[in-house]
Amino acid sequence: MSQSTSEIEILYVEVHRRMIENGEWDRILHLLSSKLSESGWTDDLLHRAKENSRTMDPLSFQTILQELLSHAQTSVPLSVKREITILIKQFVKEQFEK
Amino acid sequence: MSASPDSTHTALFGEESTFSNEAHPGIEPSVSSDASESDIDRCSHITSVFADPSAKAGIIDKFKTVVAWHARRTHDSLHPAKRRKVRWLFMWRCLVNDWYIQPPVLQVSSPTCETCKRTLSRPFVCLHCSFAGCWSEGHITNHLKETGHTFCTDAKSGSVFCSECEDFVFDDTMDELYLSTVVSVEEQRTKFQVAKRGREPYQPWIPTNDESTALKYIATVPCQGRRGLLNLGQTCFLNVILQSFIHNPLLRNYFLSDRHNSRLCKHSDCTCCEMDNLFTEIYSPTNTPFGPTSFLATTWKVSAEMSGYAQQDAHEFFITALNQIHGTCRGSTNISCNCIIHQTFAGQFQSDVTCEKCGTVTSTIDPMLDISLELRSKSGEAATDNTLASCLRRYTKPEKLGEREYSCSKCTKASHGAVKRLSIRTLPPVLSFQFKRFEHKTSGKAAPQKIDAPIRIPASINMAPYTTLAMNTTGKDGETGYPGPDAMYEYDLFAVINHEGQMDNGHYTNFARFQDEWYRFDDDKVTPSTLSDCLASNAYMCFYVKRHLDYKPYMKPTYLLARENDIVREQAMEREKEAARMKEVDDALMAMVGGD
Repeated sequence: MSQSTSEIEILYVEVHRRMIENGEWDRILHLLSSKLSESGWTDDLLHRAKENSRTMDPLSFQTILQELLSHAQTSVPLSVKREITILIKQFVKEQFEK
Repeated sequence: MSASPDSTHTALFGEESTFSNEAHPGIEPSVSSDASESDIDRCSHITSVFADPSAKAGIIDKFKTVVAWHARRTHDSLHPAKRRKVRWLFMWRCLVNDWYIQPPVLQVSSPTCETCKRTLSRPFVCLHCSFAGCWSEGHITNHLKETGHTFCTDAKSGSVFCSECEDFVFDDTMDELYLSTVVSVEEQRTKFQVAKRGREPYQPWIPTNDESTALKYIATVPCQGRRGLLNLGQTCFLNVILQSFIHNPLLRNYFLSDRHNSRLCKHSDCTCCEMDNLFTEIYSPTNTPFGPTSFLATTWKVSAEMSGYAQQDAHEFFITALNQIHGTCRGSTNISCNCIIHQTFAGQFQSDVTCEKCGTVTSTIDPMLDISLELRSKSGEAATDNTLASCLRRYTKPEKLGEREYSCSKCTKASHGAVKRLSIRTLPPVLSFQFKRFEHKTSGKAAPQKIDAPIRIPASINMAPYTTLAMNTTGKDGETGYPGPDAMYEYDLFAVINHEGQMDNGHYTNFARFQDEWYRFDDDKVTPSTLSDCLASNAYMCFYVKRHLDYKPYMKPTYLLARENDIVREQAMEREKEAARMKEVDDALMAMVGGD
């Protein structure tokens, strides 16, 4: 069992590397940013971070991040998640063409 | 986190000058923003490192290199045709499973984390050595602790982390350096469309000796002006538009720089003078509400249709006011005008009609001062996802023209169908949007209906996908091509106008932003507000300002040219006067001599 997880680990690292070097990572990220902005997710986080930090003492980046991280991850709209997952799957699939 | 000096706002919101470090007036200052501490709260570690010139130089050079590398690399991956640094990777077999990788693709070199060896998608780089590492796994912070190195930076945002403070810190020098490095990289990678020449490298303004002397004796005033406007009898439509002008950075800067001095102006019923007076009132020491009576009176005199105490449409008044200010502004012309209104609001639409039979494209270019967006598709139903972006997509969607609506100049005889597409050819520095909420139904309904459908607007929007340039560089798979760095297309929201009630008896209110604080304006009542309240308020009109302004390269500014022309003209007039006077003297002499 541990062998197959380490195989997966190695493949993940490799595909991850290729995606970044290929530029596909940046292209998908660009698309993701614009979709999240259009859905209001980015502005919601901006607003929460600002309002949280107004009364935070001591003010610290780590605290802001901690308070927002789980909400940020769970509030990504389903449709955006689906679209981006498809793009990633496509890239991974292409990398494994025999 | 140290108290942020105003220059971070520069990075977020473009070049807004500030003189004042005052705490936000409407909200209780939190512990760290005591006025006396605002400068001392900076990270002391940066201050001490910067005290040593060679250490400072080392940090700065490293920082510049990292930021420039990332900016170049982002541009190159989004624009594949222009990749500069390439390294071929050869086919190789994966050791574990004999799987073949795709044939060689152009690749750009990528750093890996020195701790976990993974490729870094978001590198954090130590500013003292060559270490690069992951943030989320704590690899970079561990490196800093273990080696005693103090600072690292996020290559993407240029944020500097101090391991002594255990937090991100703000520093004016680093902020400016980040901006100037990114701008410089972008300048090298974008060319003007028509002239095909590069951009002029940005140079900050450095005062001459005379200017420095003049500045020494100037009293600085706070850069924020906020006053409520009294309702003079159903004039909330006027108040909201005036507030959108007051918070418009380009208009504000123009009038605060005394570019239209109402005391020297020779026009009568001059709306431009009214704007000058308005800004004088707003930035005066009093902040009690005042009534814009003379502005209203002048508007009535110039545009009779706006007069009377009935409720007017804010958008109609907006266009009327723009035309009035343009008309009374110095240097305004009817063709390619250079007045402040056109410099601020004027853009261009391009309409491309493609004949379906022969493929000929006819393009028409039209000027525009704002964009009015439909809320419903042609068939009349409300759209499912109502966002500003979806309205813009609908606006720039290809539209089939019926056979009778178009006949191609190239194809003979039979007129076939054609496809028309609108796009934005030139983006103005300030984008004004109006959502068409007031529909005039002709189908026999008595009164026009107001469409209250909520529209989601973003705090920032990238306008690239709706431009002619981007549409013309679309790839085969329908992906929009890369029309230049994002900075040229990013806009930030600064004012929103709301309308509540029905068409005939409603009330206008607005939101506006100063730096990054939002306020709500209801005639004379001004209250601090939040971004979220503003975005949830269901806009009727909204205003965005471009984050980075761009300029025609290697040209003298028109106001300098105008001033030089004025001086030349004045000197010529002086000479003529002098010559005429001399002639009088001569004539008098001749008369005396002759009379003897």
